[in-house]
Amino acid sequence: MKPLTRQDLAQFAAAPAADPAEWIRVQLDTGGIAAGAETVYAALEQARAAQPRPFTLLRTGSVGYSFADPVVEVQAAGMPRVHYGCLTPELAPRLLSEHFGAHRLLDDHVIATRRRGLKLDAPVTHLLVGDTGAAASSKTEFFQFSFQEELKRRGLADRVQVVRAFDMGIYDEGAVVQLLPSGVTYTNVLAPDVARIVTDSILGGRVLDDLLWKTPDKQVRIVLRHCGQVDPDSADDYLRRVSGYQALAKALFTLTPEQVIAELKVSALRGRGGAGFPTWMKWQLTRAQPARQRYVICNGDEGDPGAFMDRSVLESDPHTVLEGMMIAAYAMGASQGYFYIRAEYPKAVERIQRALDQARERGLLGKNILGSGFNFDAKIRLGAGAFVCGEETALIASIEGRRGSPSPRPPYPSVRGLWGMPTAINNVETLAIVPAILLQGGAWFASHGTDTSKGTKVFAVTGKVRNAQLVEVPMGTTLREIVFDVCGGVLDGKDIKAVQTGGPSGGVIPNPLLDTPVSYETLQQLGSIMGSGGMLVMDQSDSMVEVAKFYLRFCVDESCGKCAPCRIGGYQLLQVLDRISRGRGAASDIALIHRVCHAMQKASLCGLGQTAPNPVLSTLRYFGEEYQAFIEGGPSYARKAGKAAAAKPTGATTPPIPVPVPAKEASS
Amino acid sequence: MKTIPAPHGPDASAADLKNIDEVSLIELLEKVEQKHGFIPRDISDEVARLMEVKLERLRRIQGKLDSTIRRDVQQHVSHWRNEEGNLIMILHAIQNQHGYIPREVAMELSRELGVKLARIYEVITFYHYFKLVPPGAHSLTVCNGTACYLKGSGDLINEVRAQLGIAEGQTTADRQIHFDTVRCIGCCGMAPAMVVDGKTCGHVKTSDIPGQVAVLKAKKEKVA
Repeated sequence: MKPLTRQDLAQFAAAPAADPAEWIRVQLDTGGIAAGAETVYAALEQARAAQPRPFTLLRTGSVGYSFADPVVEVQAAGMPRVHYGCLTPELAPRLLSEHFGAHRLLDDHVIATRRRGLKLDAPVTHLLVGDTGAAASSKTEFFQFSFQEELKRRGLADRVQVVRAFDMGIYDEGAVVQLLPSGVTYTNVLAPDVARIVTDSILGGRVLDDLLWKTPDKQVRIVLRHCGQVDPDSADDYLRRVSGYQALAKALFTLTPEQVIAELKVSALRGRGGAGFPTWMKWQLTRAQPARQRYVICNGDEGDPGAFMDRSVLESDPHTVLEGMMIAAYAMGASQGYFYIRAEYPKAVERIQRALDQARERGLLGKNILGSGFNFDAKIRLGAGAFVCGEETALIASIEGRRGSPSPRPPYPSVRGLWGMPTAINNVETLAIVPAILLQGGAWFASHGTDTSKGTKVFAVTGKVRNAQLVEVPMGTTLREIVFDVCGGVLDGKDIKAVQTGGPSGGVIPNPLLDTPVSYETLQQLGSIMGSGGMLVMDQSDSMVEVAKFYLRFCVDESCGKCAPCRIGGYQLLQVLDRISRGRGAASDIALIHRVCHAMQKASLCGLGQTAPNPVLSTLRYFGEEYQAFIEGGPSYARKAGKAAAAKPTGATTPPIPVPVPAKEASS
Repeated sequence: MKTIPAPHGPDASAADLKNIDEVSLIELLEKVEQKHGFIPRDISDEVARLMEVKLERLRRIQGKLDSTIRRDVQQHVSHWRNEEGNLIMILHAIQNQHGYIPREVAMELSRELGVKLARIYEVITFYHYFKLVPPGAHSLTVCNGTACYLKGSGDLINEVRAQLGIAEGQTTADRQIHFDTVRCIGCCGMAPAMVVDGKTCGHVKTSDIPGQVAVLKAKKEKVA
């Protein structure tokens, strides 16, 4: 293949390829595939033969609706563009015949668009209804029936279809109705409103102001801008359709490395891996270090259990991450890059490898890229299941082929990193943002977010939440907005107890403090951290002592054992917690916990040990009474609590069966 | 395996001895000795000859195995020869091929790379991903990420333990089913999740476990 030149890219930018008129995008990321997206894809392909109208069947990454996997997005002429969730292969033929043939949407599978309109700019063709009250969907059918009857009465039944929605994207607002294709959304619709909506809005084209949902969507998609839109396996799709590698061309031909760094300084982008170190400063420091070779590393070792943002971005939009890495390399004068990705993410590895191969074929990697004289190449290095390798010095050791033990800093990697050379390590999300900043300007990026934390952040909201999904919100959005407004609140309508952020290095934030705006500083003040963006929702039935124990056990298992405070302190702390949770704790144990935690925080070598006490300290801070109850209640209380916890999840009815104690636990 | 033929006396024919394996041969000798108080010369000679033949065959197999291992390792190494810090990537390749890292291969790798075996083992044992024992023919992995934990993966683990009679990280005695837990498979949207022979199942309930285990056991019988 002929290497691309500057002119080629300019041409792509001037005349981007248009979308095909009719298409179906199947979202094939790990989550989707696990839910059966491949079989859905195969079924759609098979059913396509029987379909008279040609449409393009596309493979994309995930848009983030994990709760609805497998998700497909459908565009047909004369139809609103919709996402269907929870599809099955059996539904595929029906989807084609109904959607393309009869111009009808499928009941119970449509995910309402988040791009809600305020004006009725097109005649209504479809009406989505969904009850979002506490006893969800109980009134949906009633409203569907009422609308259908009303439309029949007005002779509109064959012009407007009433569809039961799978998810409305608005929660606890009674019956919600969305008029498609304009996206005008009415909430808290009551039975008397049905006639009004039909007469005024559908016939008259007037918006009912009293019912209109005016709150704009909380989400702003910068990192996830291409996720679910582009084919992750196709460089051409990225190049021609979404102005891929334009930011690189801009950097190479119109900006000096200093100007790139200056633009990042304006954007005030901070590292999205958790610590929040200003990205421009990291690059500047690496650049300032005289060396014959510099390295840039993309940290895709997402070890934090319950987080899948990096996986999703790598799988859905690999070329953007690569482009970000190349810009970083240009800015700091590096000629070699590494993607460090968990071996547990085979799909992400496969797609990044393909992206690298395709970029190399097109001359976007290698010598004299686009004829600019800039040389750069990148490789993949696999992680091997060690959480500590997310720490930058340990990560470097792992890339060098050694065990992932951290080493003391300074010297920082920007001075002496990989093979003793200056190295900048950036998170996947950080790199994915970089091209957007260069194309749209640092000031645009900085217009989102708070004073100290600019831009947006992706969170993976999971746990006891109604809609587990990826969420990208501007910094400064409150936790309550993320959990309740975007993700629909707690599963089964239970009361929220706390939200855990930052994984094993973070802490819990209790219900009363959920109105805190999210930023690096505020979360730190609350005893947690931003972390890479995992967000776990816990309801009243979750025992905080058990949660603290769970995270601590994780850190103890993952401790590399190099420094004593982490190796011994963590283990002792776990012993104390275990004792407390069995009801054998002493009143003095709380003070002991504080002492050990303090020692670990002050004396540990790397972030793992320094932050391992965070879950314990924050649960102790906000839920100290639970610890007290275990200590005062003694073994009988602990047994009762244990039984209550065992009876809780998903209606387990089988009596507890005596379990052989695993060797690992017996020795501990 | 052939059942041990009752020794007919000192003049047991060589034909009887031909198809017996080593253990039976030794048992046969012992029985003959018990009966007669000594081993007749013709029997002991014949047994010794058969043993020698079998040993020779074993050596040949071993030699073939050694050369295969050497060739494989050389292939992996040549692919990564010019890379710095290639050890982990080579280990990944080896584990992909064998499902674990056999000691013989690690030793060969140590010779090939000129790296001390201790250094290689230091790396293998540090990372959870690398295994030193062969995995079972089938695998059942319960995700124990935080989302799955909150939604009751602990009960799933207990149920699997009870059903299989083994703890996580162990393989059933017949080396058929390997049970493990994993940090997070990134399918938090469908927690609690479980991976059975590479296929991810979401929203698993404790009541689903016996069925899944039965399916795996049925597979095993088919193979046998």
